[in-house]
Amino acid sequence: MQFKEFMINMIQSELEDVVGQQNVSVLEADKLTYGVDYFWVGRMWADKGRVPPKPDFIVMPGSAEEVSKILKIANYYKIPVHTWGGGSGSQGSALPMAGGIILDTKRMNKLLDLNECSRTISAETGMIFQNLEWHANQRGYSVMHIPSCLTCGTIGGALAHRGIGIMSTKYGKIDDQCLSMEVVLPNGDIINTLPVPKHAAGPDLNQIFIGSEGTLGVITKATFRLFEQPETRRFRAFLFKDFTTGIAACREMVQKIKPSILRLFDEAETVSIIKKIIGVEKPGAFMNLALEGYADMVDIEERIMFEVCNKYGAEDMGSEYGEKWYQNRITFFYPGHIMNNPQMFGTMDTVSTYENVEKIYWAMKKAVEQFKGVRFIAHCSHWYDWGTMIYDRFIMDEPPEDPEEAIRLHNKIWNAGVRAAMANGGVINDHHGIGLKLSRLMKEQYGGAMQVFEALKKSLDPAGIMNPYKLGL
Amino acid sequence: MFSSQARKIADACRFCWMCRHICPVGLVSCKEGNTPRGRALLLSLDTRGTSLTPDAYELMFQCALCNACSHDCATGFEPPVFIREARVEAIVNDVVPEAVKPVLERAMDGSISGLPVNNEVKEAMKKYHQKADILLYLGDSAKTNGSKSALALINILKKANVSFMMLEDEPDSGAHLYDLMGNTADVQNTAKECLNRIREAGAKTIVPIDPTYSRFFKHQCNEWGLMDGLKVVTATAFVAELIAEGKLKVEKQNIAATFHDPCRLSRDLEETEPARAILAAMGIELQEMFLNRGLTKCCGGAVLKETYPKLAGDMTKARWDEAKTTGANLLITACPCCAVNFSAYTPENMETTDIFVLLDSACK
Repeated sequence: MQFKEFMINMIQSELEDVVGQQNVSVLEADKLTYGVDYFWVGRMWADKGRVPPKPDFIVMPGSAEEVSKILKIANYYKIPVHTWGGGSGSQGSALPMAGGIILDTKRMNKLLDLNECSRTISAETGMIFQNLEWHANQRGYSVMHIPSCLTCGTIGGALAHRGIGIMSTKYGKIDDQCLSMEVVLPNGDIINTLPVPKHAAGPDLNQIFIGSEGTLGVITKATFRLFEQPETRRFRAFLFKDFTTGIAACREMVQKIKPSILRLFDEAETVSIIKKIIGVEKPGAFMNLALEGYADMVDIEERIMFEVCNKYGAEDMGSEYGEKWYQNRITFFYPGHIMNNPQMFGTMDTVSTYENVEKIYWAMKKAVEQFKGVRFIAHCSHWYDWGTMIYDRFIMDEPPEDPEEAIRLHNKIWNAGVRAAMANGGVINDHHGIGLKLSRLMKEQYGGAMQVFEALKKSLDPAGIMNPYKLGL
Repeated sequence: MFSSQARKIADACRFCWMCRHICPVGLVSCKEGNTPRGRALLLSLDTRGTSLTPDAYELMFQCALCNACSHDCATGFEPPVFIREARVEAIVNDVVPEAVKPVLERAMDGSISGLPVNNEVKEAMKKYHQKADILLYLGDSAKTNGSKSALALINILKKANVSFMMLEDEPDSGAHLYDLMGNTADVQNTAKECLNRIREAGAKTIVPIDPTYSRFFKHQCNEWGLMDGLKVVTATAFVAELIAEGKLKVEKQNIAATFHDPCRLSRDLEETEPARAILAAMGIELQEMFLNRGLTKCCGGAVLKETYPKLAGDMTKARWDEAKTTGANLLITACPCCAVNFSAYTPENMETTDIFVLLDSACK
């Protein structure tokens, strides 16, 4: 933002008055560290020696009351506010594209309650999710939200992007796991959603703010379901002759039983990433799963698992590969294993009903591979009774050198892939969110329904200060 | 000039957030710049044309070098490598932060705290200067504000009839200088002179009371080829062995306590059980913190406490919060510096002590 003369100092002192001098920064180094998140464009931009997008102020509130005061100041001066959790999002949602304030939530990191009677856990949303999980583990429970970004993302980040963990097939997405929230509205009012999510008191307020990516307010507290640690967790891996057969088998399985982990990799990912990290040498479609709970019940689920996999001619690879995948579940995302510059890459996760899954997979593969030098790999890792998601990734080893040309090509590939998904019954995104990356495609996804979000935005944030350019709002 | 290794690590870490949950500095300051990823990003930007600013160097000095990040990394990258080199760069380019300058000067004079040596410790150093195979190395903290630990360990060695010596004017090892200045000729020379003095005194085995020095001698000096003819045994391992050999008669204490693993001891030296063996010998009912052994969190350390005391103090308080959840009222640690840090922020209804202070009182 452009501030005239000493206006920036005037605003800085107001912000310092709210959170303390030590919790406001206008230092150059601090600004730079908030200008890159996990979004490929931001990373490439920085690597090409271009200056990352920078906020004018970094403000770190310690409570909802402080958030409220900051938003009132921002509203008065019409300063953009970009809420920042762990900064590990892949969609550019937290990037300060309009300058103004980065509202870093990580000082709001207290555990508020662990209720063994109702099996709930409540915390402030700036807490790193791993720390919430550790609090639960100390008492013998788990939140069962175990995403790859468990150690780097915050509770608020998971909620704001409708995140998902590897155990989702049994334990649900973050929107299934969250019972209630405290939210600071753009005008500074602090509100609470209802104490429980199942009621007949109108629409569920939780679901308005979950996935809103900081465009409608700031989520400051949340309560989640707690699960007992399972008596047993058994791993297994199978190899299907192809992805199509694997999808059919997994569909039949999850319509009968509920594995916690269920991951099916296409032929291209089986012979690349799975071979490299898990050591599976054979071609085909690799699948690994976990069944868990009381041993007697797992015995029954295991019997059904074998029946279904036998029916579809899968090769039983035993428990070792399944365990190995689990042990290495986050190794995939460490430097040296995950895609990185100078490659261009992206994860176009989509979700659909079973009848459309294969159609979408082939349409996206075709759309993406029409670009010279682009390859496509995919797996399905979150399953529902009615459908599954496709975690499909494109990789280009030698993208254009010029960063501006690279951005244009990147967006063309994304447009082609996501439009292919939407045209065949898929949804724009399954669990990474929209952010800056897919903002332009939201209207195409929702059509006339987008007016509902636009009306909400206009009503709650009339000055349009909350996370501009994100979520199509 | 940064080494190619430092640049490689910074490039690996610049877009990786995986260890932020365990970085004790980032968890209390809550700033992106206080995480391995934030610092790596700044260094990678420097390589690509956006030079490190003075405030970026400040962030480089705010790392506790506790190695929690390296220990957590599934692919083995070690951020402290580029952090130390950034500190060398700051010195070379004369952009050492104001908060660091006086500490650096004191470190070059041999003591980061600049505190006088405790009188009782001074007397003991005079008394036990006769040649022996075992040399007790105290270091900065144990000679000054952590002297209780040193005096207790000296008593324990006496009770076990151990023939040991100390250097009357114990030279600085360079361990803290290494954290402040990185791998420079000055640091290596300081270490070399110290080890030569130890050799000349006739010692064969160094027993540092402070794990910082154990780690420095065992790892760094060894890597520099300075340890010829000298062995290092941590004080906790040495004393645990005395107990195992029956050389100490330990009375059972009817108390419950939690134990803070010093990061140098548990992570860098991978030594976690001797301290627990000592606690077991005292009959202490150990109530472990959830983050124990290799997962321990730095309590603020020695250098950061001097350079950025508020930040280090917040780290100590955060570790206290974890100790409180165990239900124990007593926190025991095995490092004089950690003991000093915890003492400075002891919460109401809690107590802290060093393992040797407790053992000394439990030994006849």
